[in-house]
This record gives sequence, structure tokens and C-alpha cells, in this order.
Amino acid sequence: MSEIAIRVENLSKKYTIPATQRHDTLCDQLSYRLKSVFHRNGRAECGDKTFWALKDVSFEIKEGEIVGIIGHNGAGKSTLLKILSQITLPTQGRSEIYGRVGSLLEVGTGFHPELTGRENIFLNGAIIGMTKAEINLHFDAIVDFSEVEQFIDMPVKRYSSGMYVKLAFAVSAHLKPEILMIDEVLSVGDLQFQRKCMAYIEELRKSNSTILFVSHNMFAVKAMCNRVILLSEGKICFDGSAEDGIKLYEGPSKTSALPWAQNAIGADPSQWDVFIENVETFDETGMQRDLFNYGERIRIRLGYTVRKIVSNPNFLVSFIRSDDVACCNYNTAMDGFSVPSLETDGMIELLTPPLNLVSESYKIFVLVRDAKFENLYCAQVGKTFHVRHDVLNTHFGVFHEQGEWFLPNEVVDHKAFNFTGGLLP
Amino acid sequence: MELTAETGFKKPFKIIEPRKGLFQLELGGVWQSRELLYFLIWRDVLTRYKQTAIGAAWVVLQPLITMILFTLVFSRLAKIPSDGIPYPVFAFTALLPWSYFAQALARTSSSVVGSANLVTKIYFPRLLIPLAASLAPVVDLIFSFLILLVLMAWFKIVPTWGLLALPLFLGLTIMTALAVGLWSSALNVKYRDVGSIIPFLTQIWMYASPIAYPVSLVPEKWRLLYSLNPMVGVIEGFRWALLGNKSPDFMVMIVSATVVAFLLVGGIVYFKKMEQSFADVI
Repeated sequence: MSEIAIRVENLSKKYTIPATQRHDTLCDQLSYRLKSVFHRNGRAECGDKTFWALKDVSFEIKEGEIVGIIGHNGAGKSTLLKILSQITLPTQGRSEIYGRVGSLLEVGTGFHPELTGRENIFLNGAIIGMTKAEINLHFDAIVDFSEVEQFIDMPVKRYSSGMYVKLAFAVSAHLKPEILMIDEVLSVGDLQFQRKCMAYIEELRKSNSTILFVSHNMFAVKAMCNRVILLSEGKICFDGSAEDGIKLYEGPSKTSALPWAQNAIGADPSQWDVFIENVETFDETGMQRDLFNYGERIRIRLGYTVRKIVSNPNFLVSFIRSDDVACCNYNTAMDGFSVPSLETDGMIELLTPPLNLVSESYKIFVLVRDAKFENLYCAQVGKTFHVRHDVLNTHFGVFHEQGEWFLPNEVVDHKAFNFTGGLLP
Repeated sequence: MELTAETGFKKPFKIIEPRKGLFQLELGGVWQSRELLYFLIWRDVLTRYKQTAIGAAWVVLQPLITMILFTLVFSRLAKIPSDGIPYPVFAFTALLPWSYFAQALARTSSSVVGSANLVTKIYFPRLLIPLAASLAPVVDLIFSFLILLVLMAWFKIVPTWGLLALPLFLGLTIMTALAVGLWSSALNVKYRDVGSIIPFLTQIWMYASPIAYPVSLVPEKWRLLYSLNPMVGVIEGFRWALLGNKSPDFMVMIVSATVVAFLLVGGIVYFKKMEQSFADVI
């Protein structure tokens, strides 16, 4: 049995939000205190709200495990990481950490714009916990890794943002901790650089380091982690295999209203004319799936409830990539499919063409409008599906479609042909 | 590596839990991170005069110009006595610790707020931040000290054995700046008002310290109250150690040193208490 690396027992963190006004200047504070002296209920009136960013979180992580911490915004992921990396103290509970910790909540922490690359390597190295001897030892390797040798004696304020990140990560990558905590820092830089980052993680994994990884990118979590902890409202609601955790995180088929639509057509989605109850994804043969290979067709089944008759409805389905890039849209109006007036609850299905989307995860947005795109009846975000391909990722763009290629002499012929065909009669 | 050796004993390497005692100061951690302290000071010194036209000459010019102004205003116009010492030397000897103190205080007060990106992103003993900010200007002080030596040679003043006590008074100066700085830097995180108060406070403080005038000008009955200002002891000490014509008032020294000691211990305890919420409120 392997050794324990991190033990967390009933860890809780409480934040206080001043309810009515902020008391951040001395004057506010004084008048506030005075008020509460004179009015016996003064304090209760201004009643500062408290909320638990983390509540009774307990788990154990063994040496060599790579654990993904997932959850929606505000679930407490970052708070957990901040407590474990000692940036903030817990309100209750305790945790024990066995090993040298490195935490990368950000690359390039403490970089000073006026200092040169060389000077920043030493400064940043010392800040993230390397000794001077270690930095000296790895200095050449860091410079090599960063690919910015020729600018190493230039102040980093003159660096491009790409160079800056590369240098910053190069320093971080030479920190060889026994326990590493990362907060979405690896999703920067170009393709070649990302490969280096993955190689660094891989190397740490081989040396039996323990890694805690916070991410919104389920694809990265699935690729790296063998275990996930799913947080929701400060509590652990799942701790187990990555596959199951991600499924739970993404929800089977539940949908939620889009905030902007709530402003436009009413805050309470249950009062909307139409509401999409569930979104399900199947492959062509009708198998329920949420992981597809590049080039597969997807069936998307929408189950809706109708509160008010909608004539001439137009169903729209969009795929939004995890980095919020809107990739494509299908709608009944433009696809030439006329939907009869919606009178009772029902179902509608979309079969996409072969999807040549790159390897990533995609959220399904569903809207119901009228055929002229004038009225909005509902706008929701449904489940997420993944597309898998060994090579193609976001660096290849949104889609990858096959192109046609020609050798030089053919190109010339082709041009000549077009030229005569196009310009001369 | 000694760290792995420790984990080999199945002993927790680090326990994270809410802090209980007020006096759980973890000063050992500061000592362990002394290399980082060195790098932070080095950064402060290195970046101070980057992208300036005359660079480090500012270090020398600032106290020199103040000294000339003081000589013109206080000595020539106001005819303030200087205990029989040439006024320029008399003023410069006091300006030496004072300009250090004013600068260190200003920098230390804004140090934690200025390091917000560090405080919210990475762990290291937070005490290093004000510590580095108050130590970095010592470099400036050393340069000014060289100017003073030139001045003394010019006025043919020979240092006495008291010079050996100078490091002691230098230490007291640094501790004063650090002590006040610890309070103000921690307060500044929560109340940004501190940023406006400090320059004002510094100005008042300057007139409450014997920089432009000798202590002998202060009436005897107020002397004890006056020496509650720790800079009185510091400046008296500097004048005695460097110019050595008059032995210092030991009562003043003891009172000043005691005040500094209380401020410093209180400052550390307060800073450690506030430190817990730095990342949350900054």
C-alpha cells in the first residue's frame, strides 16, 4: 500500500460578506461601530452574511495519485487549493501534507516587469520555493526550456505575452515538488508549448509525484486524472473514478436557463412559453453516448414542455466549445424543416452531418425562436459532449475539413485554365 | 534533501489548521526562507532606480539637497543653534537615519498591498514582505554615510571611538521602521486610508524629531515625554556616535529603545493575526 500524501479532515472555510454596506475605510468602520453601540440591534440590522465556501470536506490522497478537482463556479475548488497551498487558513478542520509542496496557481508569480529574464528566473524561482543552489543548477535548462535565450537579458516588460508565459512556465517546470497543485495554468501557450507542459506532468507522474489539478476542461481532466473529486456548494458530492465524476458533473440530461435570456424573457424559466426539459445525445445507431469520434454524426433529442401555444417555432441548436467559442449552429428554419405549432409537450430530434469538430468538449445550447428570428421563447444550455481525435485539437481551428492539394505544375495548369476561363472570352 | 528525510518518518510535514494562539509567530519559517528574503531585498534595490535618468545618484542627491535647504532655512534664517557643530554636518547626521526611516516606512506601509499578486497566489512567510521593504533602503543609507564621511573630512571632524556603537543605533533605526511598518502595512490591507495617513504622519514626525534642532532646545520637563518618540533616541545616538562631542542622555536612549521593543513585538503579533485574512481581504 502506498503512503498518504494529503489527508484532509472536515476542512471548512467561512467567508463574511458585509450585507448592506462595505466597511473598508476607517471612517465607515468607526461610524458602523458607533451605530452598533447606540442601536442595540445595530449589528443585527446590518447583519453580515456568512457563507461557507467549503464545508466539512474530508478526503485522503495517496502518493502518486493524480486527482482532478472539478465543480461549477463557486463550488469551492479554488478555496480548497488555496487552503492546501497555505495561501489562506481554514476556519475549521485540518489537513496534513506529507511532502514538499509546489503550487502553481499562476505561472510567473512575482515576475517584476523591470527586471530582465535572467533576474526574474532567480526571483520567481525563489518565490515558488526553489533554493538558490537549485536555481543555479537548473539555470541553463530553464533558459533552454523557455526558448527565449536571446532575450534573456532584456527586461520582461518588453517580452511578448507568449515569451513571458514560456519563461514563467520554464521556471515552474523545474520545481520538482513531491506534491503539485495546479489551477488551470496549463491552458496557455501554443501547441508545442502545451506538449511541453504535458510532458512535464508526465515526468512528475513517473517520479511518483502527487498532483492536484483544478480545471474546467473536462477533456484535460479525463486525459490526466485517474480520480476526481466533484465539489458542489463547498461539499464533496462525488469522489471516485474520473469517468463517473465527469458524467455526474455534466449532468445526465438536465438543462439550465441562460442568464441573458432570463433578463430578456423573464427570470423564472418555468413561466416561459416553451421549456426544454432534457437534451440527450445518441450516435447514429441510437446508442446513448456523450463521447464521439471525429467525423461521427450525432443525434440530439430535445424534450420540451409547452405552456403557451407557439406558432411557427424555430428550434436552434448550437455547439459552444469549453473555451466559449461558438462552433456551429443548426436551426429548423434555415435547414428548411417546418415545425408545426407547438401545442402540447413533445420531442424533436436533430441528426447532425458528420461532425468534423476538433478534439474538445462542447456544450449544447438550445433556443426556441420564431422563423424570422424575432421572438425568443426559451434559451437554455443542455449537456456537454466530447469529440475525440488523436491529433486535431483547438490549435487546428474549429473544424477540420479535407482540402484538395496539387503539385506545382498542376497548380499552374489549373490557374491557366481558370484564367482563360474566367477573364478571356 | 532534508525534507524527504523528514517525510520518511511518517511525520506530518505540514499541518494546516486554524491558528489558535496569539503568540504562534512561526519565526522559524522566516529564518528558513532567508534566501527568499535576500531575493526580495535584491529585487527592491535593483528595481528602485531602473528607468531613471541619473539612477543611483538620487540616493546621494536627496539627503544632500535636504541638508542644504535645512542649512539655509534653519541655520541662516532661523538661527537655530547646533550644539557647536557646523550646521551642515549637524543636520546631515540626523538626516542619515531620518531619510532612511521615512523611506523605509513609506515602502513598508505599502509593501503588503503592493504584493497582492504574491499574497493571493503563493505561500511564503508573509513577514518577509515588510521585512524586505524595510531592509532594502539600508543600501541607500550606506551611500549617504559615505557622503557624510566626506562632509566630516571637509569640516575636519574626527570620529571618536563612539563610531563603534553606530551599528547598534543603525539596528535601532531599522527596528523602529519595521515596528511602525508592520502595523501600517497590516492595517493598510484592510484600510487603505493608511496610504494617505503615512506621508502626513511622516511630516509631523519629522518636526517632532531633533533633525533641524538639537535636543537641548527642548525644555527639560518635556524631555521624557519627548523621548517617547523613538527617533529621538536614534538621532541622539547617531550624533553621539559620529560627532561624539556630547555624551547622550541615557534616559532618552532607554525610553526610546523600550518604546521600539514594545512596538515591534506588538507589531509582529498584530501582523501575524491580520495575516490570516490577507488573501481574503486584499
